[in-house]
Amino acid sequence: MRVFLSLTALYLKSFYNLPGKRAPGAKTTPKDVFKALGIGLLALFVVGQMGALFIATNMAMYEALAPAGLQGLVLLNMAVLATVLTLAVGFLTALSTYFLNDMELQFLSMPIKPKALLGAKFAAVYVAEAVVSIFFIASAVIIFGIKEAPHPLMYLWGILAGMLLPMPALALSYLIQIPLMGIARFLKNKQTILFIGGILGLAMALGFNLYFQSTLSRLGDPAWLARHVAGPDSLLAKLGSAYPPALFTWRALSDPASPQALTSMALMALMCMAGPALVVFFLSDAYAKSLVGFNESQIKKLGAAGANAFIQAKLRRGPVFLSLVKREINLMNREPVYLLNGPFLIVLGPIIIGILMIAQKDAFLSDPDLAGVLALLRNGGGAILAGLAGAFLGSGTSISCTALSRDAKALPFLKSLPLSAGRFMLAKLAHGLVFALFGSIMGAGLSGYALRLSASDMAAALIVAIGLSFLLNLGGLWLDTANPRIKWDNPMAALKQNPNSVIAILGAMGIAGASGYAAFALGLSTWVFAFWFGILPLLAFALLLFPYPRYAAKRIAALEA
Amino acid sequence: MIELSAITKTYAKSAVKAVDSLSLTIKNGEIFGFLGPNGAGKTTTIKVVTGVLKADCGAVRIDGVDLAAAPLDAKRRIGYVSDNPELFARLKAAEYLNFVADVYGVGSVERQERIARYTALFGIKDVLSASIGSFSHGMKQKLLISASLVHDPDNWLLDEPMVGLDPKSAFSLKEIMRERAAAGKTVFFSTHVMEVAEKLCDRLAIINKGAIVFNGTLAELRTSQGVDDSLEKLFLELVDDSEEATA
Repeated sequence: MRVFLSLTALYLKSFYNLPGKRAPGAKTTPKDVFKALGIGLLALFVVGQMGALFIATNMAMYEALAPAGLQGLVLLNMAVLATVLTLAVGFLTALSTYFLNDMELQFLSMPIKPKALLGAKFAAVYVAEAVVSIFFIASAVIIFGIKEAPHPLMYLWGILAGMLLPMPALALSYLIQIPLMGIARFLKNKQTILFIGGILGLAMALGFNLYFQSTLSRLGDPAWLARHVAGPDSLLAKLGSAYPPALFTWRALSDPASPQALTSMALMALMCMAGPALVVFFLSDAYAKSLVGFNESQIKKLGAAGANAFIQAKLRRGPVFLSLVKREINLMNREPVYLLNGPFLIVLGPIIIGILMIAQKDAFLSDPDLAGVLALLRNGGGAILAGLAGAFLGSGTSISCTALSRDAKALPFLKSLPLSAGRFMLAKLAHGLVFALFGSIMGAGLSGYALRLSASDMAAALIVAIGLSFLLNLGGLWLDTANPRIKWDNPMAALKQNPNSVIAILGAMGIAGASGYAAFALGLSTWVFAFWFGILPLLAFALLLFPYPRYAAKRIAALEA
Repeated sequence: MIELSAITKTYAKSAVKAVDSLSLTIKNGEIFGFLGPNGAGKTTTIKVVTGVLKADCGAVRIDGVDLAAAPLDAKRRIGYVSDNPELFARLKAAEYLNFVADVYGVGSVERQERIARYTALFGIKDVLSASIGSFSHGMKQKLLISASLVHDPDNWLLDEPMVGLDPKSAFSLKEIMRERAAAGKTVFFSTHVMEVAEKLCDRLAIINKGAIVFNGTLAELRTSQGVDDSLEKLFLELVDDSEEATA
């Protein structure tokens, strides 16, 4: 048991990047306070966003079902969705943490029972699942509680359900993954897993986005409601009855003080806990075996003639700056964590907005509150919106604002080369600007096309997108040069856990929002807006670019990586 | 030729001098071994010479070029093998070599010829199209060594170059060192392998706690210690003596 607990604690620290114990006498610096505040604000922002989505969906569903006396179905929907949500999140977390790093191989050489190994990993992944599940269930239970004033036991059953429902979902994830890892050799590679996990994660996130958006927009339609939620043959009813833990949760929460509630909860607890127990009992050995040979490299070799031909064809002189930019692009786009959380936003952003537009189009067009906005968009405001959309896509790639942090491990080598640090950093900026241009064209172009902008308005939108995104990229590079994240063990830390990328994205959002507000509030015409928010940022970009190489050289010389 | 005059370096987060007023001259045509226990200041010194770290005071000259005054000119005269070959896992070996050759301005014909020669010598010619991330530690080390020679530098600095090399590659490396010294070029390397230093070096320096405790030939070291022992024993005695002196 001690081994299991130690392993669980170690996995928890590794998975969630938890800080270690503070050294005795260690002082809290202003930087620590600022960092804690920043992380707190970000957490609040993320939780707030998710909470708002969950609450809006549950509230809308309650109000649509209450007139027919079917409001109890909100609880069934909650139980089904909590299961599906935790299955999706659990599957991805289990996959991405299946083989953490070579430390796992070290564990295999230690006297650790496979059951402790799998059990500890299950427990560590489960913690995140439980948090998501409880959070989601709380959003439904609190609404139901305020509206219906049920017996207080409902809250207890709700918390218990939140803790129990993720267990079988996670067990199912391992039930799929362990045999798969045992037979599919190509999957036993951390990078392949990260890439597949990233794509699956995006697909699932888009799926949930589509579900919530379309549910919200159609709850007012009685025929849709009967077909998908309320009727005995509805999808929700079928899912609920096919999955007993969800059905028992619904029964217990619908009549929380009855003896049947206690029985339902007991049965549900039994069923949910059986999942992990069975997986750990029967699959631990297979899990331990599947870790053997993980990350084994298979190198493609050339024949003697092939190697000579390869050298002749591929090793050719090129311009140094181009070589530097190519290196930047290759290093970023070949690292799944960087690609999916960076440049891929240029593709992902339009897809998310596209889903929102398709799912909510009718609601947007018929919403009286949005009538004024639609009128503004039709009268020149479209160029502003398109320009700002392009600016956000062009500046949200995290390329420039993490450029130095991502290269932290190679800094000593790069500093030994006969290259000025300014030139080397300008190549990083060029990399950011290539994608800023691409993002600007995608964002402004697609929005302009959707809004049927004239050629002149489209040109103005592009100028704004390029001006703002170039300036924001340079700002991000200044930020990362001033305060790079030098020490990290996992590439993820250089981008996803880098405060600079958070500041840059939130800053881009804030600037885009403030610019849009200013344009509408001041009633700026399209080209006046293009001047203030496109031409002027470009001038500012040129002004800030001039002193940057000298600053970068000075700053990099001072870094003792 | 590499000249270090009164180099001192203290890391920002440390109160102790990693290198303290260190002076050395490595002449052309010389293989110079740099020995010392862990944390003695070997890597710090090499990093100062290659421009990776900035010395607090003192001067470094490469072939007479002041590193502080003309860093790019000085660095062009150096080939550097760092102590950590974990570089650019996402690049292919050929892309890495091409990048280094571009930075040093090596022409297509010369780079093809040198890369073919050195990668063949170290047995990695057939994996040039593979990703560096798939390489073993030893293969990465061989790639780093090949890359450091792509511009045929006059001054070759190697930090623990034998780590991870198989016997054949270690032999090839020693042969290249000898060949370069015979051609009048400078070879400066750090090592913990006393046998290698004993057989290979024309001169050597021993550093402990940031200061040079010996600088000369092996014969001079034996004379100064008054015994005809192996380098390993002489090294241990010298380091112990300097530890006691500072205790």
